[in-house]
Amino acid sequence: MKINLRVSLKIPDAEAATVKNTLRRRMGYGAVLAELGKERLWSIDVDDSVADPADLARRLARELVNENKESYKATVDSIDFEDGYVPVKVGLRIEDAEAISAQNRLRNRLGFDMVRSVERSSIWKLSLRAEEPERTAEEIAEGLLINPHKDYYEIMR
Amino acid sequence: MKVAVIQFPGTNCEHETLVAARSAGLAGEIFRWNRPAEELTEFDGYIIPGGFSYQDRLRAGAIASKEPVMDALREEAERGKPIIGICNGFQILTESGLLPGLGGVDVALASNVMVSKGEIVRRGFYCAWTTLRCETPARRCSGSFILDKGDLVSMPLAHAEGNLVTADEDLMERLNEEDQIVFRYCDEGGNVEREFPVNVNGSRENIAGICNPEGNVLGLMPHPERSSFAWQLPPTDSAKSAGDMTAPGPGRRIFESMKRYIEVMR
Repeated sequence: MKINLRVSLKIPDAEAATVKNTLRRRMGYGAVLAELGKERLWSIDVDDSVADPADLARRLARELVNENKESYKATVDSIDFEDGYVPVKVGLRIEDAEAISAQNRLRNRLGFDMVRSVERSSIWKLSLRAEEPERTAEEIAEGLLINPHKDYYEIMR
Repeated sequence: MKVAVIQFPGTNCEHETLVAARSAGLAGEIFRWNRPAEELTEFDGYIIPGGFSYQDRLRAGAIASKEPVMDALREEAERGKPIIGICNGFQILTESGLLPGLGGVDVALASNVMVSKGEIVRRGFYCAWTTLRCETPARRCSGSFILDKGDLVSMPLAHAEGNLVTADEDLMERLNEEDQIVFRYCDEGGNVEREFPVNVNGSRENIAGICNPEGNVLGLMPHPERSSFAWQLPPTDSAKSAGDMTAPGPGRRIFESMKRYIEVMR
């Protein structure tokens, strides 16, 4: 089973603001891009024998989320995104050292023996005024959000 | 001869880069990224120094690569003027497609992965003195114009993302065939060992610097401005122990190359 932690900042997200400004002011999406948000997504594969996944998600969040500045939503297996934006998942297609480090920390130091693997990615939430929003989201992903030599992207709808 | 040292928000090596360029006989000034881009035409060459443009938001170099000043630099590059990108400058040049200059974004400078005896021994930020071996003949590239194939140059590096990777399996062959690999990490004897600590960041084929097909645009991860004077060298370096702290360091040859390139190409 997979536990998903969608983590967002409670404080202003400077990176999201910079990406939004670049798309609007430098790349011609001023009339198209209404809003842009960002979440960090931890996808944690755990043993199917876990009896209470909601409790495990809370315990994992205690280690991976800083609740002084971040909030999170936990789901098991599926992720349901809200309406009103196109969610674009961006992750590394090469080795992700931070995910490996988190996995080792959880398993080897913090006693989460049920953790099998950890993936880390970003979810860019693009609110678009476009006839084909998913096509526009693909353009934005390929034009700015990824470097195809190390990143991949996926439209999450 | 006047060079512009481009300053983006978050650049932090502009002053010492300008000092190093001046020590090589180049005049110059710091050029803020939001000045009218057309003012760039009055310069003979350009240096994009190191730092953390836009705080490395999204990924190193990605945001700066979309600034209008980069479009202007692309036009100046097409006129044959020299551009040298150092560290974050190299990252900006790869994100903008000016390097390796084959028409798109052809490489990425990913997080460092240090491999020794087949195992990953370290990841991320690393700071060390390195030796670079020049891989191209003299005059091939603006930033190595006075260096010959096999020459060794030592300078420090300090970065987290200098691991050159590509998804294009044919690219390395092309870069080798076209003499676009300008510098490789090597040991002090000039041997290119594939593993850490000689290959400091896991970069494909020990690549430390590449140029565009025309040779006027160079990007390299190590910092030549930090080894342009004897006083910057490690205590064990013979040039430093000679006593004259203002004597040239090996990194100055990169800036002297740029100067010579401008003289010849004028």
